[in-house]
Amino acid sequence: MATTDVAPAADAELDEIEDEPRRRRLRGTLRDDRRFGLRARIVMAFVLGALLLSGLFVTVAYTLTRNNLLDSRESTSLRIVGRNASAVLQALNVAERTPEEIVANLSTPTGSLPILQIGSEWVPLDPLNFAEADVNSELLSVVIGGEPAQMRYRVGSTPYLVIGIPLIEDDAAYFEAVPLRDIDDTLRSLGLALAGGAAISVFAGAGLGWWAARRVLLPLDDIGEAAVAISAGELDTRLEAEADRDLGRLTASFNLMAGTLQQRIERDARFASEVSHELRSPLMTLTASLEVLHNQRDEMPARAQTALDLLETDLDRFQQLVEDLLEISRFDVGSVALQPSNFEITEFVRQALAVTGSSPEIVHADGVEGLLIHADKRRLARVIANLVDNANKYADGVTSVEIERVGTGIRISLTDEGPGVPEDEQLAIFDRFSRGVAGGSRGAGTGVGLGLALVAEHIRLHGGTVSVEPVNDDGTGSRFVIDMPGVLV
Amino acid sequence: MFVGTRILTVEDDERIRTAVKLALEDEGWQVLEADNGEDALALFKREPADVVLIDIMLPGIDGFEVCRSLRRNNDVPIVMVTARDDTHDVVAGLEAGADDYLTKPFAPKELSARIRALLRRARTTDPGITHLTFGELEIIPEEGRVMLGDSELHLTKTEFRLLVELASSPGRVFSREVLLERVWGYDYFGDGRLVDVHVRRLRTKIEADPANPRHVVTVRGLGYKLQS
Repeated sequence: MATTDVAPAADAELDEIEDEPRRRRLRGTLRDDRRFGLRARIVMAFVLGALLLSGLFVTVAYTLTRNNLLDSRESTSLRIVGRNASAVLQALNVAERTPEEIVANLSTPTGSLPILQIGSEWVPLDPLNFAEADVNSELLSVVIGGEPAQMRYRVGSTPYLVIGIPLIEDDAAYFEAVPLRDIDDTLRSLGLALAGGAAISVFAGAGLGWWAARRVLLPLDDIGEAAVAISAGELDTRLEAEADRDLGRLTASFNLMAGTLQQRIERDARFASEVSHELRSPLMTLTASLEVLHNQRDEMPARAQTALDLLETDLDRFQQLVEDLLEISRFDVGSVALQPSNFEITEFVRQALAVTGSSPEIVHADGVEGLLIHADKRRLARVIANLVDNANKYADGVTSVEIERVGTGIRISLTDEGPGVPEDEQLAIFDRFSRGVAGGSRGAGTGVGLGLALVAEHIRLHGGTVSVEPVNDDGTGSRFVIDMPGVLV
Repeated sequence: MFVGTRILTVEDDERIRTAVKLALEDEGWQVLEADNGEDALALFKREPADVVLIDIMLPGIDGFEVCRSLRRNNDVPIVMVTARDDTHDVVAGLEAGADDYLTKPFAPKELSARIRALLRRARTTDPGITHLTFGELEIIPEEGRVMLGDSELHLTKTEFRLLVELASSPGRVFSREVLLERVWGYDYFGDGRLVDVHVRRLRTKIEADPANPRHVVTVRGLGYKLQS
């Protein structure tokens, strides 16, 4: 009775041990919720930098060129317009020619369009392109007010610099519209060229960023690969020493870590091996001595016989426990290796069941008989033995064993008609020291709960899986299913 | 059949040695004891045993070395005893010349069964066959001799039984399981490495080029066969 609560207590202790591992944050990575990887972020930073720089350059270059072009055109035009205005004023004073003639005779080397206002009359040179209505009203009011003025605006699609000079004495004003189309075209081409340059520098920035990210992340990729190799059991994996000082520190500390890890694992493996030897020597003496006693069993009093039987049974249990613990520690230090060979699966199952002394019905389809599989025979025999043992303890034995071919693999199912495994324990029963509700009491011959954990480890080593499912609708009966894909020869 | 058969146990742990001796004597064997390799070799010289049981972990010269020393001029059946069942110890023991191995703790009854299997005489399918010839290789089962050309080969009893077994049906492929059963008397779950290492040892003796064997050929995934 007192022993029934031992298992849950032990479980609670295990839960405490399986605490979250301590994780050390790397400096500068306090925010974990970044949406982009380091590589993307480096590339983005380079693109952003290139964009900013080229944007600034484009703006400055464009503005300077534009102002320069406009300024020089403006000063040239002002000179010409001033000359033309005084020529107009002179001609009007002389009054030899009609205003139309005056306007037509003006010299306009930049292709500008003069328009003369006398009183309410407007005399344009080219009424189709620049007429009275095209003179901006604001400009007009300033000029009529007696101030020379200039203004840049578009007429239709053509940009003009319109300069107005009041000719007060004659109650007139002279306007000249200097077309800026050539400057506009030049600026447009310049703008396109600059934008193209900016785009190229952004792409170049992206490329540079990608290269830089690659350069920075390449050692990290190497470290990642090395870490994967180490966790896969290649404990002697090391990184090549980096010439770069900063990366050199990283690779050196990684190699130091790998070395320490390897030493520890090898020390653990040696420890398991030493323990194995130390435990097996007294077990050897016990086994041999008990056999000598067993040979004299018939001559012993009944009480001594009972004691001898107890000794023999518990020596078997103890021996099995030691073997199971050693086996599981070998899995832990990664010192297990498959010893695969080719054998017939149906014959194997028959032989493995015969060893356990149970004789359930073996069911298989016609094509399965004689199929060869490539696997570790002794480990697989251990799996069958442990599952049969489990069924013997909790479910009055295995009732049937089914062998199926699944693609290039094999599925072996062992069915019992016991109380079944509750749904919330169907995964946990393959954990170590887990004996479930039914396994809570220690009857004769019960193990310590390593049997099914070893089943899972052996099958995992073969690249397969093992699971348990209920047989009947009411949840009773268990079917342990071993799936070993790709083992068919 | 085995009355008076002497077994030399080489074991440094006195308690184990005593317990195993008692158990083996109960099985009807005579037991000689040595607690280290040097004594064992000296004792064997004075009183040759019929079977030698060697623990691998010994003070002074280890079990492998004892095994090799015995093998230099003797074909006595040797059983290696190891407390570790890792591949290295098992294969190294077999390559040092052991005929079989047991992992501690073993049942003495199991050891007796192993010893009986090792002492069994070579079996031939047809007692009438006195000579089997494969090219230069000549097997004389009656006399327990193997000739390669004009020179006689020194095979251990187990190597000889393995060769005769393969020679009983030339060209037939023998699986590891069949050879384990017929040569070593193991059931279905015998250790295939026994066959592999013995085939390797046999090849170094009978093949001109052991790396490219002409007589004892591996049939991948199935087993071994003998051809001429």
